[in-house]
Amino acid sequence: MIPSQMLKGTLEGCILKVISHKETYGYEISQALQTYGFSNISEGTIYPILLRLEKSGLIIAQHRTSPLGPKRKYFSISQTGQLELETFLSNWQELKTAVDTLFLDRGDPNE
Amino acid sequence: MNKRTKKLNQINNALDKKLNKSNDIVLTDIMCYLRVANISEYHQEVVRHDLLEMVLSAQERNEDIQTVIGEDYKIFCDDVITSLPSKTLQENIFELFDIFFHSTSILGAITLAMASETYALIKNTITNSPKNFQLSISIFQVGAYFATIIGAYILVQVVFGNALEHKAEAKHTTLKTFVKGASFMALLLFLAWIGKKTLFTINIVVLLLIVISSYLIHKLLSNAY
Repeated sequence: MIPSQMLKGTLEGCILKVISHKETYGYEISQALQTYGFSNISEGTIYPILLRLEKSGLIIAQHRTSPLGPKRKYFSISQTGQLELETFLSNWQELKTAVDTLFLDRGDPNE
Repeated sequence: MNKRTKKLNQINNALDKKLNKSNDIVLTDIMCYLRVANISEYHQEVVRHDLLEMVLSAQERNEDIQTVIGEDYKIFCDDVITSLPSKTLQENIFELFDIFFHSTSILGAITLAMASETYALIKNTITNSPKNFQLSISIFQVGAYFATIIGAYILVQVVFGNALEHKAEAKHTTLKTFVKGASFMALLLFLAWIGKKTLFTINIVVLLLIVISSYLIHKLLSNAY
């Protein structure tokens, strides 16, 4: 399981990415994240993040009737959200490269 | 409560009825905690609506509330609160005035209903005897007025604020604050009781007008934020 502290900074970007695929709702996002290997991500974990993304205008929420149970809040990515997603991806790649380089280095003491 | 908040509140009340008993208990605790948070009444109802949708969908899937929200409701709520905009200065001021006018209308009505002068006036009006419109207000009554408002406010903040604490811990904190609050109120009431003499007199009709206008101002204010 990925520690929550490690997840904190990246989950926002990952949720944005899931929403960018198609218009979706909380439970579906949590299920999608689990299929990608993010274990133990409940709807409650992502709900405050969805609120923040909505407040920042990165996603747009709309209530729709669902075939089962009450109405659902569907989220779609906004234009600002698309730009933010690109920024997240480039930041993530930079971090990933840095961490990979560090861990691939054998740490030769003579160097 | 303004129009859009009231509308959402009514929808939420209807959805509330569909909750099973255990989910209802947890959501009530969560809402109590959110009610005293520094977020607007509208945002409280928005969150309540989202949570109701989540929990009712989970109910359909035969899942419990822990699967949806996690084990620690307090951490979840604190996370939700920090994700929402805080109340504005205007909303805070409106809320304080609203509490003041609402309390004034209720306590004023109680004062009128309990005063022997009111009954004497009614009796004299019926029997066509000379009427005395003056009502005496003692230091005790003024003290009780402030003590009731402050005491009730503190009690709500403490009880609701501890809604998600572990039961034993919450009981301890609530008891401690209750003792402190009760001592404070007792002291105020005692000081007020010492001065049992009349502080001022007021015309019953004027007090009735104050009660009515306070209630109307409360209605106007609560519709505004």
